[in-house]
Amino acid sequence: MMGNSKFVYVTYIRTTPEKLWDALTKNEFIKLYWAGSQQRSQWRIGSSWEALDPKGNVWDHGEILEYDRPNKLVLTWKHVHFKEFEAEGFSRLTYLLEPTKGAIKFTLTHEIDVEESKLIEGVSGGWPHILASLKSLLETGHALEEEMTEWPE
Amino acid sequence: MSKSTFLYVTYIRTTADKLWDALTKTEFVKQYWFNMHQDSDWREGSSWEMKNSKGEVWDSGKILESHPPRKLVISWHHEHDEPARSEPNSRMTYLIETAGPLVKLTVSHESDVENSTLIGKVSGGWPMILSSLKSFLETGQPLPDPRKAA
Repeated sequence: MMGNSKFVYVTYIRTTPEKLWDALTKNEFIKLYWAGSQQRSQWRIGSSWEALDPKGNVWDHGEILEYDRPNKLVLTWKHVHFKEFEAEGFSRLTYLLEPTKGAIKFTLTHEIDVEESKLIEGVSGGWPHILASLKSLLETGHALEEEMTEWPE
Repeated sequence: MSKSTFLYVTYIRTTADKLWDALTKTEFVKQYWFNMHQDSDWREGSSWEMKNSKGEVWDSGKILESHPPRKLVISWHHEHDEPARSEPNSRMTYLIETAGPLVKLTVSHESDVENSTLIGKVSGGWPMILSSLKSFLETGQPLPDPRKAA
């Protein structure tokens, strides 16, 4: 039987689905809450997708599997910077946006068909800060300060 | 050994002391915990109760560790609905760590019961409560109860 590793995080953000969607897909917002990183994609089903550090080095890449603005985004994600993550192959990232009273319920799922995945262990330590900073940016206009002062080599 | 665990990490722009007060003082808890509040003097060995606005007890337990403003561990028994009420005590831990101008809050809620109903239920509740807490501390406004119709 195939093993699986999964990180799931739910947060509620006082914003609109459209504003949250833009914050998730537009670099002018992404760089503010995601440690200066950028993403490159046409954001259409079948488009390629890349995540880059502030110097323009590609850390992750994949393809847009589902694009349903402002409700759901699914993409494949292969890490290419650290060898032990790269060896695990493609993972899958899902953003789900659901309106509730006065807030958007945002569910992020990052999963891979690998048992005890090092990639999922790694991103499990990173997502909470990124998503806390995203919520602060949308609710207060200010992203959170970064924990790391420099991108690792 | 724990069989069911809920783990959640968030970062809040506040101080450890303000976060501790928000987690333990009834006047604050009532504002972001969707009409629930907690009664305790938060000293080790003291009892602890979670009540709704009518004073009905939903959960109860004891303070196992209390180190303001860094760490709180409580035993947690659900009192309101079966089958969670029949499960033995679960254990809930708040860990508060300063990260520069931010505070990192780690909430872990664990039970020795495999596929615990209680841990399943609180796994849906904690993200709402902790999102509301973060909004409350950063903006002064908690979130409305998301379980009510949009």
